[in-house]
Amino acid sequence: MTSRPPASDADGGGELERAIGSVSQSITDPVAKLRYLRRSLADGQAADRHVRAVPSVQLRRMLYRILSVAGLRHTIDLRSLGYAGRTEATSGRMLFLSRIAVAAAALCVGVGLVAVAYKTARPAARPVEASVPKPRSQSPAVAVAEPGPELPRTPGLAPSAVWLVENGAGFEQYSNGLRIDTSFAVPGPPRRYRVFEAGGGFGEAVYAEPAGILFHTTESDVWPLEASFNENLRDSSHRLLRYVSRNRLYHYLIDRFGRVYRVVEEGSKANHAGHSVWAADGRTYLNLNNAFFGVAFETRWDGGRALPITQAQLASGRTLTEYLRQRYGIAPDMCVTHGLTSVNPRTHRIGHHLDWARGFPFEAFGLPDQYRRTTPSVGAFGFGYDEEFLRVLDEPWPGVRAAEQDLAREAASRGTTVDQVRRERQDLYDRWLAEQVQDDEAERAGATTAARSGRTTTSGG
Amino acid sequence: MADERKDHLWKVQEADERMEDLVGTANPVGLDVGTSKVVSARKKGKGVDTTMELNAFIPVPYSRFTENILGQNDISYYREGDELIIYGTATERFANMFNTDIRRPMADGVLNPREKEAMGVLEAIIQGLLPRAKTQGEILAFSVPAMDGKSSELTYHEGTLRRYFESLGYKAVAINEGLAVIFSELEDENFTGIGISCGGGMCNVALAFLSIPSIMFSITKGGDTIDQSAGAVLNEHAFRVKVLKEEGLDLSKSPKDKFEKALHIYYEDLVQTLVDALRRNLSRAEKLPKSDRALTIVLSGGTAKPKGFKDLFERTLKARSLPIDISGVRMASDPQTATARGALIAAMYEK
Repeated sequence: MTSRPPASDADGGGELERAIGSVSQSITDPVAKLRYLRRSLADGQAADRHVRAVPSVQLRRMLYRILSVAGLRHTIDLRSLGYAGRTEATSGRMLFLSRIAVAAAALCVGVGLVAVAYKTARPAARPVEASVPKPRSQSPAVAVAEPGPELPRTPGLAPSAVWLVENGAGFEQYSNGLRIDTSFAVPGPPRRYRVFEAGGGFGEAVYAEPAGILFHTTESDVWPLEASFNENLRDSSHRLLRYVSRNRLYHYLIDRFGRVYRVVEEGSKANHAGHSVWAADGRTYLNLNNAFFGVAFETRWDGGRALPITQAQLASGRTLTEYLRQRYGIAPDMCVTHGLTSVNPRTHRIGHHLDWARGFPFEAFGLPDQYRRTTPSVGAFGFGYDEEFLRVLDEPWPGVRAAEQDLAREAASRGTTVDQVRRERQDLYDRWLAEQVQDDEAERAGATTAARSGRTTTSGG
Repeated sequence: MADERKDHLWKVQEADERMEDLVGTANPVGLDVGTSKVVSARKKGKGVDTTMELNAFIPVPYSRFTENILGQNDISYYREGDELIIYGTATERFANMFNTDIRRPMADGVLNPREKEAMGVLEAIIQGLLPRAKTQGEILAFSVPAMDGKSSELTYHEGTLRRYFESLGYKAVAINEGLAVIFSELEDENFTGIGISCGGGMCNVALAFLSIPSIMFSITKGGDTIDQSAGAVLNEHAFRVKVLKEEGLDLSKSPKDKFEKALHIYYEDLVQTLVDALRRNLSRAEKLPKSDRALTIVLSGGTAKPKGFKDLFERTLKARSLPIDISGVRMASDPQTATARGALIAAMYEK
């Protein structure tokens, strides 16, 4: 609106703003952005003096980019909110110095204690456990447990199997590098489920072993993966852990640093899947809380156009999947994402939850691309989708299209409409769901306890 | 088997509220302690919940009958000696009834030294908006004005409020009012730009670069000045002028009557004073942050609410030359709550 010429790049002003802006642009939370900006300014203040002396504009830009710094021409007060009490600075400095002193003393004591403790109380390694193959009759999916694609190779030696190397208070260490923090683990209701057999309806057999793995995102707060946000990252994960543990939401949670936490014991059901559908090898599974492990990555899916997990999460996800698959003989076709299975039974629509409805790195996990697999909820039960689904995904994943083609072929061969075919299949879903709900209620009421105990397949086979 | 706590957790609107309830985390508060209104802001789910109360009172003589009437009509009051102090929203109604002006616990952005009831009334108003802290040390950020050459008054005002908030269990931090507007409205600009809050007692201005305030100043003209000045020339009570102003003043249209004419004149005077002060403060600033981008100005506050205020500001701005580039002027998304929402961001930042 006024006529002052813009500041040239020569003074670095534009470069600074761009460097900061390009990094902070991805931060959507205003508080996180504020913290990022202010801490970047503080961290970069010293570096900025040197960077500004670099004569090459390109080189300066690159340095700013690398450092993500922004320099100011005046001293900044990071606590400045435009007004600050006069007594706080001194007490703050004293507090800071005293904290450093206490921390240094604590570090010395801590290092000594850890050294002594390690020598005297190193936990004894327990023998092979995860690598022991379980009898195939434990879960229906074991029957279809093909080896699947090899895990993509990474340099270095890989163990021949996954076994428990050692465990101790609050942890288990496995041979493939997987370390599970067990300090948050809670028991849940024992796993128990029945499946719908192809052509046979609701099977009589009751299973207690997991048949599959369902991958989730927690949709919780995500802080920038930077040292200056360490406290936020840790706090956020701990709050999340307490919450998911209290509500028994997943079997495993992988935090942003790739730490794997057991949330609900492996022999229990977790409340992770809700109304959901999956099918493989002629067996159909409704509502996957019991039959599937819930493995959640601490992140927001955000449409799945970019991989929303950290490298550490990816690495831990791979080792955890490898461990679970090997220990329970889980077939690759039974490893799928929540977004691919979640349905709304009332509206007969897919995508009730959409986490990982796109973008899960199946290949990196040594798993088949489930997005291309005919989607059971659409193919077998005639489910559709709505505008909201398309708004998020633009178009359905290929498996939905494949299922729709199956429905169209079925309609053409019978000389009826696709809508009619859909309605029939939705009716089938409603009937099966009602059967399953009835069975669950009977289980809860304890009416079938005696009969069930005879049918349940236990870990002994 | 269809249990899905997640259905009620992450992907529904109430998820964050439930999370907050369940984990019992401290809930930071932003508070705009303005001359005309007190506004509180708290996070509620993904959004922000704001509540406001008129920062005014009127004393009436005590009688048991009057007290009963006030109690029956759910009117905020407390007894002080032989008076009943009516405060908050009901004040305007009573001022009309008794044909008198409302009184303010604050003047020119700080505690009113001429009102002995100032802090008592303000405490009562704040109590209505702000429960005691759930846990000791919850963060509360409250707005304070920029005080050119009146730092001792500001120190007293800020210190008095801070002590009161601490007595409610909060850890209180003060934030400049203009900066709070930048926090709430200029996130997309990386908190770079100019935030202006036009309140009842004064207009506060801050210029920040990447959230760091560079210039902060205020003018002691605001909505009250307009009401009092117009009231004086029209021989009307200021609160009646205020009512007329708030009933739909349109500064973009020619005034229809003497009331509107007076309001137009005093609004133009206020905006001219504001823009002149902006130019003066920018010109004498020794170290303005350098940016290759022009800055955005955000207008907020109840006094900026009348239709046409932004256009009036833009017209006045165009007639003057500023030493920085301005990309545009825009109104805050919700002018009356912008400062409180910005204070909330500051509280969350401090957490």
